[in-house]
Amino acid sequence: MGGFILRTMRHPPGIKGFLLALLLLLSLLLLSTGVGLFTFFLLEPHLDLPGWTILLVAFLVLVPGAVAVGRLFPWLTDWYYFLPALAFLLVFTLYPIGLTVYLAFTDYSGQKNNFPDRSTETAVVKQEGVRLLLEEPVAEALRCDPCQGEPVEVYAEGHRMRARILEAQGAELLLDRAPPFQAEFVAKVNAFRFVGFKNFAFILSQANQALFPVFAWNVVFATATVLLNALLGLILGLILNNRALKLRNFYRTLLIISWALPGVITVQVWVALLNYNFGAINRLLGVLGVYPIPWLNDPDWAKVAILLVNLWLGFPYMMTATLGALSTIPDELYEAARVDGATPWQALWGITLPLLEKPMVPILLSSFAFNFNNFYIIYLLTGGGPAQEGRLATAQATDILISWAYKTAFSAEGQSAYGLGAAISLIIFAITVAISLVNFRVTGALREVR
Amino acid sequence: MRKVLAFLLTGLVLYGVYWFAATRLFDEGSYRKQVAFGSVFVPYGWAYALGFLLLLVLLVLLYSVGYTALTNRLQGRRRSPWPLFLQGITHLFLWVLILLVYYPVVQVVAASFDPTNNLFSFRRPDTGFLILDAKVIPYLPQPSLENYAKLVEGVILYPYQLGLLLLAGLALLGVGGIGLMRRLLPEEDWMGFWQGRLLLLMALSVFALALTLSPDQFTGQGTETKFLLWVRNTFLISGLTGLLAVLLTATAGYAFARFRHLPGRYPLLLFFIFVQMFPGFLALVAIYYLLSWLNLLNTFTGLVLAYSGGIISFGTWVYKGYLESISPSLEEAAMVDGATKWQVFTKILLPLSAPMFVFIFLLQFVGTYSEFVLANLVLTGVESWNVGVGLRSFTTGQFQTKWGIFAAASVLGSLPILFLFYGFQQYFVSGYTAGAVKE
Repeated sequence: MGGFILRTMRHPPGIKGFLLALLLLLSLLLLSTGVGLFTFFLLEPHLDLPGWTILLVAFLVLVPGAVAVGRLFPWLTDWYYFLPALAFLLVFTLYPIGLTVYLAFTDYSGQKNNFPDRSTETAVVKQEGVRLLLEEPVAEALRCDPCQGEPVEVYAEGHRMRARILEAQGAELLLDRAPPFQAEFVAKVNAFRFVGFKNFAFILSQANQALFPVFAWNVVFATATVLLNALLGLILGLILNNRALKLRNFYRTLLIISWALPGVITVQVWVALLNYNFGAINRLLGVLGVYPIPWLNDPDWAKVAILLVNLWLGFPYMMTATLGALSTIPDELYEAARVDGATPWQALWGITLPLLEKPMVPILLSSFAFNFNNFYIIYLLTGGGPAQEGRLATAQATDILISWAYKTAFSAEGQSAYGLGAAISLIIFAITVAISLVNFRVTGALREVR
Repeated sequence: MRKVLAFLLTGLVLYGVYWFAATRLFDEGSYRKQVAFGSVFVPYGWAYALGFLLLLVLLVLLYSVGYTALTNRLQGRRRSPWPLFLQGITHLFLWVLILLVYYPVVQVVAASFDPTNNLFSFRRPDTGFLILDAKVIPYLPQPSLENYAKLVEGVILYPYQLGLLLLAGLALLGVGGIGLMRRLLPEEDWMGFWQGRLLLLMALSVFALALTLSPDQFTGQGTETKFLLWVRNTFLISGLTGLLAVLLTATAGYAFARFRHLPGRYPLLLFFIFVQMFPGFLALVAIYYLLSWLNLLNTFTGLVLAYSGGIISFGTWVYKGYLESISPSLEEAAMVDGATKWQVFTKILLPLSAPMFVFIFLLQFVGTYSEFVLANLVLTGVESWNVGVGLRSFTTGQFQTKWGIFAAASVLGSLPILFLFYGFQQYFVSGYTAGAVKE
């Protein structure tokens, strides 16, 4: 008996053990979710429960279930430490991602949103089982041609049902199922369809108006931001790392301000400061004898404005990172160099900069990855604008991929084309993964973990 | 070879910048030589500014030469004045930079005290002082608290809530005072202890205040009178999100760091990392769909749950890195004495991990504090907005007219984050470097 317990205490080895553990965990999660769903649908008609009771019931089933399974397979308990994070990731990250991936292959949009179209609402004159008589000819009332297979919603006070049209002739309609109530109205449902790779084909066919210029600016933006921020951060880090400099902690604390303020506030303040007529920046330039600059109104100057504001926002991080990296360089190296008669300039190029490379490269790469998808600065500062000729309405002069996707899916110019937006999100995901793979390869972050 | 390549690349980049400036930025279409209406234009103003700067450099030079000559004579030594000069130039450079960096901050703070919206009017002040007339320095003829008063108009606080507010304020003062003492006086044991306790007291009273405030207490007209309600909403949402982030990442981080014997730990880690790379907020439609299905739309719970998905991977990764930097010898000794893994985790590691938990909490708190895309979708109705959505509503509406109120709200809204950042600076710095830098 003792041997049996000992054997089950040990984790089954190798890939088989992993898959077994995963299978058990997932079936635990799925089972509890299933029980939650089942209970919900069983009780919902009677009790008018809110949807989150599913989560509650699932949780109440999961805990004793996990304890019971833990008794049966003691080796599984190690995996329970992952369970809270894993369950959360599955429900609130992986499920939305999965749904988004699915939407990327549909034509889901503001018009095709799976809701009944109220403008096609038509009164039902007579109903016999699956046969409905409308007050107008079907093809005109429901605006469908051919009407066969179109989804419709049949409803009356307090009842509703979805069905498909089997046949339509004149004002008569044949449904594929009979409404269990006396139907009063019929309306066409704006159903969305699975369209395969059409969204991606559209993106590629319009690539010269959107994908290519947006991608190019996205890369330039991320690279230039990282370079500019790193340069200023490096200079300040080198200055403030000098122990002989008085007040250096005071300066560091003061200069970090733009990191400490919420970006959503400061970027909007910058919008006001960069205004062509009223903005304080152009007023300052006027006093300096420079004609006003169309910071946010010209496609090229808007790019410069974004880089400058992002420099203001981002240099404190780079400065702090440089200071952290500099503190890892031992003082003895500098002493040895001084004994050998090296000038400070030589020490800088011979010791400091080469030794900074190793700790700074991961920071630069992760900063690149962050800025590549830096939605907020673009959206808040320029909103992707100003308009540029020969582009899609959603992909203007300063739009990067992520703001293009956002505007495609959620703005009036994009006509709420969720499916298309989801397709662009998938492209962004692929690019982000590629950047991160390069990052991991260069830094070896994942190799160490293994 | 490498040097040549770097040289070539730099040259290419510089030429690109030059080409861009010459043909795109300063061509006829983009840059018109035309003074904006109502602004002051000084021809060759830059020459004066440069001259002024040079004068300052000269003064620094004079000072350093004079000072070294004097000390050399008094002490009978021979020292070069150049190090002193260089240091003076460095200070000058840093101060110019500080002026530039603080320029937006100064403008906003000034605008928040200006009820007349001076910044956005064509009116030119006539003071005879050029920089003030040009409104380069904010012109404040009659500073007042009117903008702030509009934000708190019609807010009714019950006496016990005032008490809580007072308590929080006193605790904050105490924390700051002890912090100052720790800087100036030699460190003593009670200082750290009491600072921690007072901080906890402050957090608890702020939380209690946020819980007991209700929308009924904001009776003012107009959306801006709800500003403090938005702050309270944000504190609830971000605080809960931060707590949830810590709860969810702690055990997973521990398991990743210590259960090296588990097969499949590595693929699971990869899953955690790569799932985070999906641009999360583009799954908005899906999240909206999920929340509407769970009847959690327009609730703080729904928003908290939606936010929490975003931090799990990063938090787990950071906490794993932190635990790996702690030697496992103590845990091994405890295991030998018969402690279970759970006991080791709760009794040994949790107390040690407080700094990392504070970092994860703060990161999530600050990150969601001013989020407005997801919040705008989930929270409908003025009374349940958070700070980000509210501030956004000031600027997307009639911008010019509400600029003063936006400025006042920005100042007030930034203060909590500013306090947190400067109060916990070492956490942010060490947390970020622990996540990014690997020795």
